Amino acid sequence: MTEAKPIQAPVEHKGRRGFLPIETNTFDRVFISVVIWIGASLLWMRFIEPLGLSVWICTVLCIILGVWIVKKG
Amino acid sequence: MKTARWKKALGWIGLYALWIFLTLFTVLPIYWMFVVSSRSRVQLFDAPTLLIRSFYVQNYTGPLSDPVFQRYLWNSLYTAVGNALLVTILALFATYALSRWRLPGADNIFFWTITNRMAPPAAFLLPIFLLYTQVFKIGDWSLFDTQLGLILLYCVFNLPFAIWLMKGIMDGIPIELDEAASVDGAGQWTILWRVIVPLAAPGLAITFILSLIFAWNEYLFAATLTSVNARTITTGLAEFVTVTGTNWGQMAAVATISILPALVFLIFVQRYIVTGLTFGAVKE
Amino acid sequence: MRSNRLGWTLLTPSLVVLGIVGFLPFLFVVWVGFHDWNIFAATRGMIWTGANNYRRLVFDQEFLDALWRTLAYTVTVVVIELSLGFLLAQTLTRQFPGRAFFRTIYVLPLVVAPIAVGATWRLMVIPGFGPIPYFLERWFGIEYRIGTYASHAWATAVLMDVWHWTPFVTLTLLAGLTAIPKEPLEQAMVDGANRWQVFRHLTIPMMMPVILTVVFIRMMDALRVVDEVYMLTNGGPGTATTFIGLHIFRVVFPKTDYGYGSAMSLLVLYFTIVLCWLLFVALSNVGKQKA
Repeated sequence: MTEAKPIQAPVEHKGRRGFLPIETNTFDRVFISVVIWIGASLLWMRFIEPLGLSVWICTVLCIILGVWIVKKG
Repeated sequence: MKTARWKKALGWIGLYALWIFLTLFTVLPIYWMFVVSSRSRVQLFDAPTLLIRSFYVQNYTGPLSDPVFQRYLWNSLYTAVGNALLVTILALFATYALSRWRLPGADNIFFWTITNRMAPPAAFLLPIFLLYTQVFKIGDWSLFDTQLGLILLYCVFNLPFAIWLMKGIMDGIPIELDEAASVDGAGQWTILWRVIVPLAAPGLAITFILSLIFAWNEYLFAATLTSVNARTITTGLAEFVTVTGTNWGQMAAVATISILPALVFLIFVQRYIVTGLTFGAVKE
Repeated sequence: MRSNRLGWTLLTPSLVVLGIVGFLPFLFVVWVGFHDWNIFAATRGMIWTGANNYRRLVFDQEFLDALWRTLAYTVTVVVIELSLGFLLAQTLTRQFPGRAFFRTIYVLPLVVAPIAVGATWRLMVIPGFGPIPYFLERWFGIEYRIGTYASHAWATAVLMDVWHWTPFVTLTLLAGLTAIPKEPLEQAMVDGANRWQVFRHLTIPMMMPVILTVVFIRMMDALRVVDEVYMLTNGGPGTATTFIGLHIFRVVFPKTDYGYGSAMSLLVLYFTIVLCWLLFVALSNVGKQKA
C-alpha cells in the first residue's frame, strides 16, 4: 500500500477571506501581524533608527496595521 | 524494429549502470571510513588503496578498553533506550487519547506538537543550557550533565515525530474493536493493553527503533548539556578531532562503532524510515 | 460517551514533557533576549535592556553573513536534492530485478549519525590520504584543499548533504509517484501530448503536495544543519561554512553573553518559523485545491 499525503493541520480550518490572499482565522491573522511587527522592527532598527526616528514609531504603525489585519484580513 | 530493441537494451544497461554507480557512491564513504579504521597511522599515508590488506586492531581495542570511552558508550545506550521507551509510551497514551476522544482543542494540540520538531536546536541550546544549569536544580543536583536531562530533552524532537507517526497507526485500528471489548465489559485500560497495544505493536516497534536511532545519533545537545558524566559517543567522536587531531584511524574506528547500532536496525526499519522521517505523511 | 477526563489524563504526560523542554525554553529565551546577562561580568544578574540586543544584532555583520550563507546553502541543497530525487524516483517506478537491494543500500545514509556523516566525509577529503583529493589531483591536476579554499569546503558540504539526504527525497517522491493515478497520464499520451507536456502539466501539479512536503522537511533540516559541517570543516576555512547554527554553537555559546545569544537564537527561530510558515500555507492551499 502506498499513500502520500501532504503534511497539514488536521484542524478544520474555519477561516474567512479578507484582503489577504489566503483564508485565515483570527489566530492566523494575529500571527501574521506579529511576524510583520517583528520583521518591520528589525528593519527599522537597521535602516531608519540611525536617522533619528525612534523604533516606537514603527511599533505604533505596526499596531495600527495589525488591528487592520485582524479586523479585515 | 531492431533499433527499438537496441534502445530498450540500452535503457536497461543505463538503468543498472546508474544504480550500481549510486550504490557505490552511497557505500564508498562508509567503506572508506572502515578502511581507515583498519590502518595504522603510518599505513594511512602510503599510496592510497581501497583494499584492506591487514587489520590494525589497536584502533578498536584502544578506545574500547578505555574506561572513559566505555562510559560514553554506556551513556549513549542508556540515554537512547531510555528516551525511546519514554517516547513510545508517551506517544501511545497521547495518540490513543487523540484518536479515541473528541477533546476540545485536541486538533490544535496535535498540530502544535510538530512545531517542537521544527525549531532549530541551535536556537534552543542557550535557553535549555540556562534552564538546566540555573533553574532546574535542587540543591547541588541539576539536570545538567545527567542522562535524565538528555532523555527528557530528546523528547523535543522525538515525541512530536512519534505522536505524528502513531496517530496514523491508531486511526487505522477500527474503533469497533474498542466498542466490542467495551460491550464485553472491559475497562479503558484493559482495552488499551489487550486490544490496542497488540494491534499497534508493529507501529510501536518502529517508533521505538526510530526514536532510538535519532536519540543515539544526536550530538549538539549532548555536547553542550553534558561535561563529564553523561557524555555520549557522538560527543566522544567529535572530541577525537579537536583533542587528538591527527589520530584518524582511531576516529574512524569510533565512528564505525557509533554507526553500528543504526546499521543493525536498518534491516528492520528500512521500509519505514521514510514514513518516519515524513511524520507518517508518506506510507509505503 | 466516555468521559473526557481519561482522555486528558492520557494526553497530559506528553504535554507536560513538551511543555518543559519545548515551550518553557521558548518563553525563557524571549525573556532573556531583552536582558543583559553575562554570569562572568561584574554584574552577574539580568539587567533589562529593552531591544538593545536586537539593535546590536541587526548590525552584526558576522551574524547576517551566517544567515545569508545558511539560506544560500539551504536553497542549493534543496534544489539539487529535489532535481536528483525526481530523476531517480522516476527510474524506480518500474520493477526490475535488484530494485529492492539497491533501495536497501540506498537508505543507508539516513540512519548514520550526522556527526559520523561529517567524520566519513572528512576522511574522504583529507589532503594526504583522502581519495577525493588524491584522484582529483592525479587525474585532473586539481589541488583539492577544503582547509584552504572556501569554494572547495562549500562544495564538499553540499556534496555531503546531497549524499545524506537525496535518498530520503527520492523515496518520498517515489511514494508520491506511485500513489498518483495513472489514467490521466495515459489518456494525455493517447491524446498526443509529449512526455514533457505530461510531466509539466499533469505529473508536477499532482505531485505538488508531496513535493512541498519534501521541501518543507528538507528546508527545516537544512536550516538547522550543525553536526555534519562541524565535523567536516568546523565552519572554515575562515567563516566560509559557518552556518547559523554552527555560529551559535561555536562562537556565541562559549562567550557566555547570554542575553545577546538568546536574542540571536530567537531571531534564528523567527526566520525558520517565517520560512516554514510560508511553505506551510502553500501546502495547505495546494491540499485544499486538490480536495
